[in-house]
Amino acid sequence: MPSPDEIKQRIEAAIPGAQAEVEDYAGGGDHFRATVTAEAFAGRSRIEQHRLVYEIFGKEIGGPIHALSLKTQTPQKTPTQ
Amino acid sequence: MPTSEPSTIRDLPMSAGQPSTVGEAPMPSGEPNPIHEALTQAISEHKVILFMKGTPEAPACGFSARTVAALQALDVPFAAVDILPDPRIRQELSAISNWPTIPQLFANGELVGGCDIVTEMYESGELSEALQ
Repeated sequence: MPSPDEIKQRIEAAIPGAQAEVEDYAGGGDHFRATVTAEAFAGRSRIEQHRLVYEIFGKEIGGPIHALSLKTQTPQKTPTQ
Repeated sequence: MPTSEPSTIRDLPMSAGQPSTVGEAPMPSGEPNPIHEALTQAISEHKVILFMKGTPEAPACGFSARTVAALQALDVPFAAVDILPDPRIRQELSAISNWPTIPQLFANGELVGGCDIVTEMYESGELSEALQ
């Protein structure tokens, strides 16, 4: 069972320059919420931004990670519109 | 392959055979895949279609419920498919969309997003435009 910290580290390791905040919002160890800020998101659609993060976890999403709620943004501004 | 595979969107949720274990190996490629075909057909035939857990009347997951609520708040007509009756529906859907989670909202044949994106777009006012 991944911890919020492990998820944070994996996101930050996989996406250069990314900063992630991860919380286990249900307290059950399998429903996570992450806010990820990365320059790598610039110029990408929301779908592409979320895919970049989901791809890090592959089949773990829907498995040990039941839910990973995402908010993605680039460093300069508030969440991508 | 059973001969009673679903061929229409209406059949999809009803076609619950023996649910197999989630996460089983996908079907071999190259063979006709009725679920895959039914899904791509449903996506192309419905202007707005939501793949969800449960039904709009009785969502089986908070994320699906929130997505339905956004669509209903905009008063947008949409088709809904319950992915729960057969794990292969979800498997094939994710293969088509390259998106791992449920719900998944499609409009005009394109993936709009899951619960997070749909909610963000609803709050920013972009959703109704995306569903035109």
